[in-house]
Amino acid sequence: MTEIDIHADGVEMVKSLCYFCHANCGVLAYVKDGDVIKIEGDPDYSNQSGLCCRGTSALLHLNHPARINHALKRVGEKGEGKWEQIDYDQAIQEVADRLNQIKAESGAEAVASAGGTTRTDDWARRRFLNQFGTPNGFHNALLCWIPTFMAETCVAGWSPFETDLGGARCLILWGMNPGASTLGGMHGYTDLHMNGMKIIVVDPRYSETACKADLWLPLRPGSDGALALAMMNVIINEGLCDYQFINTWCSDFQELASHVAAYTPEWAAPLTWLEPDQIRTAARMYATNTPGCIQWGCTWDQLGKASTTASHAIAILRALTGNLDVPGGDGMPGPAMNFLTDEELELNELLPEEQKAKQISRFKLTSWPGYTLISQTAKRTWGKTLPTEWFCEAHGPSVFKAILTGDPYQVRALICNATNPVNSYGDSKMTLAALKACEFLVVVDYWMTPTALFADYVFPAAGALERPTIVTHYGATDSLMGGSRAIQPKYDRHTDMTFWRKLGLACGQDPANWPWETEEEAYFNLMQGLGLPISCYDDFVTYFRMYYPPLHQRKFEANGGFWTPSGKVELNSTIMRELGFPGMPTYMGCSESEFETPELVEEYPIVLTTGGGFMPYHHSEHFQMQGIRYLYPDPYFSINPKLAEELGIEYGDWCWIETRRGRIKMRANVEPEVDPRVVFAPRGWWFPERDGSADLNNPFGCLESNVNVLTSVDVEDCDPMGGSWANRGLMCKVYKCTELDHEYKPEDTQFSMPGSSSEPGITVKPSDQKLARELIPFEKPQPEIEVPEGFSWCWQNNALYQDGTNFRLDESGWLINPRTKGYHDAYTGWRYDAATELLVDDESGKKYDMQRNEVPFLAGVRGYPGAEVAPYEHPEHLRWNVEAGYAMLPDKPYVFDPNSGWMLDPENGAYHDAYYGYLYDSATGTLLDENTGNRFTMSYEPVVE
Amino acid sequence: MTRYVMVIDQRRCIGCHSCTVACRTWNELPLDIVYNPVVTEGIKGEWPNVHRNWVPTLCMHCEKPACVPVCPTGASQQDEDGTVWIDYDKCMACLACVNACPYGMRDQSKLQPVLHRFVRKCTFCRDRRAMDPTADPYCVQTCHQKARIFGDLDDPNSEVSKLIGSVETTRLMEDLGTEPQIYYIPDLGGKA
Repeated sequence: MTEIDIHADGVEMVKSLCYFCHANCGVLAYVKDGDVIKIEGDPDYSNQSGLCCRGTSALLHLNHPARINHALKRVGEKGEGKWEQIDYDQAIQEVADRLNQIKAESGAEAVASAGGTTRTDDWARRRFLNQFGTPNGFHNALLCWIPTFMAETCVAGWSPFETDLGGARCLILWGMNPGASTLGGMHGYTDLHMNGMKIIVVDPRYSETACKADLWLPLRPGSDGALALAMMNVIINEGLCDYQFINTWCSDFQELASHVAAYTPEWAAPLTWLEPDQIRTAARMYATNTPGCIQWGCTWDQLGKASTTASHAIAILRALTGNLDVPGGDGMPGPAMNFLTDEELELNELLPEEQKAKQISRFKLTSWPGYTLISQTAKRTWGKTLPTEWFCEAHGPSVFKAILTGDPYQVRALICNATNPVNSYGDSKMTLAALKACEFLVVVDYWMTPTALFADYVFPAAGALERPTIVTHYGATDSLMGGSRAIQPKYDRHTDMTFWRKLGLACGQDPANWPWETEEEAYFNLMQGLGLPISCYDDFVTYFRMYYPPLHQRKFEANGGFWTPSGKVELNSTIMRELGFPGMPTYMGCSESEFETPELVEEYPIVLTTGGGFMPYHHSEHFQMQGIRYLYPDPYFSINPKLAEELGIEYGDWCWIETRRGRIKMRANVEPEVDPRVVFAPRGWWFPERDGSADLNNPFGCLESNVNVLTSVDVEDCDPMGGSWANRGLMCKVYKCTELDHEYKPEDTQFSMPGSSSEPGITVKPSDQKLARELIPFEKPQPEIEVPEGFSWCWQNNALYQDGTNFRLDESGWLINPRTKGYHDAYTGWRYDAATELLVDDESGKKYDMQRNEVPFLAGVRGYPGAEVAPYEHPEHLRWNVEAGYAMLPDKPYVFDPNSGWMLDPENGAYHDAYYGYLYDSATGTLLDENTGNRFTMSYEPVVE
Repeated sequence: MTRYVMVIDQRRCIGCHSCTVACRTWNELPLDIVYNPVVTEGIKGEWPNVHRNWVPTLCMHCEKPACVPVCPTGASQQDEDGTVWIDYDKCMACLACVNACPYGMRDQSKLQPVLHRFVRKCTFCRDRRAMDPTADPYCVQTCHQKARIFGDLDDPNSEVSKLIGSVETTRLMEDLGTEPQIYYIPDLGGKA
């Protein structure tokens, strides 16, 4: 029984940020004697003092007895769970030596790294990987935003993800359930809803959010693309478009109109299980209540084959309704202009081209080929670009397959930072087999996970309260939010940046590339450009906490176009075509469905949907914490009472859910939460309370109730553009566990082999598998104009861009900087300064005239060396110094400033009068004769003391 | 006079259980004690014409509490502001109050009977108000959805007074005559 007074003497309040999902709510940590005694939600932060189950459990997390607190080195067999506790730095050195050895033997690309969610200073990881020389870093990014972001950027030049809800009249929450995933956002939606904003929810489940909506579309899982295309058809055919916007800012509208003519609501109705009128109502509600927003939802990236098709179609919906970057619409922040973006911290220039080509991914949109095109356009239009973390990565499942098969080459080492791939990546049994087979596995985590169990080294990670936090939204936006470190990391825990920095230095990387010892130093460096009156990062948190640039909307007007190669919103994307994809969204169904694979439906008649977030867990985290686990102790899947009755299933029954790839067991939540043809299963389940080493076929029960046993990551099941695999819309069957058949058996999860899961037992090399849609050959037009050396020609807008700087060569012969819109000399790159009519070399600070002769400046005063007479009037007694080009006193080095009438000291810029050279003392407003110490007034009257 | 009440806006509640976990961590409760469970009524209706509701609960801080007069030691008591609480120094865990409470909102931990010998219940975060008289109960502060609203019903300008005066509210088991001080704004399935 403790009643702790958080206002007592000696208790310090630290402004921290929650870290248990990437909503990053504000937290006030009360610290006494170096330990956190209580936390509260920050009332002055966007969460308005709200904290969810996870957030309020921060202290349980900090002090949990199961946390890993020291570096562990494996001493037994892999998975045996026998560890030796060793010094952190010693472990780092041993790992570094081994990585260097693998690099020497097999090339840097044989080392790969899997990352977690955006909570681990990933720029530091990429900084390590780039210096090490491997292109094979990855996250689960392909299931979360990145393919969508890239498709949206192809269409309009940046992802329009920052909804300006305050002015919106309609909001579509599409495959997104903030009521169980981002509660801070849900609060805002509820307030706005009460003030009249329409909310449309697209979700096959009657979710926490759906039950508050104006219009709820319970579509068939996986059919989002068909719905989006049909809505587009309605908006075009019923004339609900914003034609003024389309005519001014979009290209290829007529082509798009003909392209989607066949995608009628009647066409979509059987695919989506919605009535044509429901689709029309939704399209009309969205298109007639402008401005409006479509909030991105994870679903778009989890549809498998159809993923990017759906998000591509949705991106176009926003454009047709004129909702792009307008007040009340979907804001396009662009990269941060006045602080360093994550990309600028990654040292991407250090990764050689030949290493980029070795990146393991066949999905061009989200790896080097697509990133290069998109990034080049971004640099030419914004002047900055996206980070390569998230936006340019290896294909995770393909890396796991490479570990198992050596195809396309053998990956020998894997560093997992804040991730448990067995639970979070598709085809869990393949992933687990890869982790077991991996020659050298290093894990950085809070807990002993099924992944960490097979590691050679496990490093303890510092948690939310033990590290400062900065929120840069994947380096894709222009705002910042920050939180301070409440306490130093306990035990031998270290932050992620510290891990990568130490590992980099131990690998022999240049210390000059790792200048910051702490996150605080790194973050402070990052925000120098903001010019805030702060002297350290904690000052920023204390006095500012967040930075938002003035909301610039309609930036495309000021910019004279969107940030695409053509400057238009490209309804028929040129980048997509150049990559071999259709330029307009072209319908593609699910890998498995009653339409695509009718033969499968006889055995597996039920549609499975999974991957959605649910309280109180996040991804595969938090199952350890009893204080929240009691809310949801067992995995429950949702099944409609009608279907349950047919199958003889009652509430709480343990059931098997089976796809052709394996089966898992969960308990039945019999409720009309889903359609009678659908079951919804939660993601991520494993059982940390078990002894992991007891059953190495199923360590910590990680295959027993894990829906990823049921998913497929076969190349042909993945999105041919972005590489996403399907969590939504899989075909399954459900049956009760019987007395003789209720224990997990290894056979339950050995249906598939790496290579092919549609024909169990047949192994196909991943590189021999076909993409779900063959690439369409694209012939890039040849330049119509002569391309000077050092320049590249952009076929979309017939313009020349300087290599390296990405400045556009204007018709006037000047180079134009996309960031500043400033003019630069085409030969030297020097910036034209309109105020002085001079060229400025920003690197050296030197200035030049139009003939590119250097112009001297002393104390900010321009000199005219060689001029016979002064080009301006000056007091008669000053002597014109032809050699220096200044008017000067005979006996003093000061130069005359024609603008102020004062003499300036080139040494220190001090002001002296033009007659005697006395120093002006601003404190007393008098002139001081430095030789005698006498003082004079401004009219040269002696000052009597 | 001050009369503390809580209004629970079911139109805003999304059943995230954050209040429950928040209460548990602030009060450092053993696992078998929950002061303020959120009751999920379950989805009603037939697919797809369905509706669901959550009922966040806590001690009703009744104006005429059944649990106070039955206490043989005077441990179970009520402040002038209406807060019902237990003086642990006087509690001998006879469980008379536990049996008397019609809402089942007080209990003794079986998991930690030594440390948590006495009967425990929600105190409207009396400890937080002792530190800072303007502090809200922790569940109120933590609710993202602002579905729990705490305040003084005797103050006509308080948010709770305005809500109770303007929107139809209900209370649980009003017929028992205990005058519970938790007011619910029901979600009737219309717009939040």
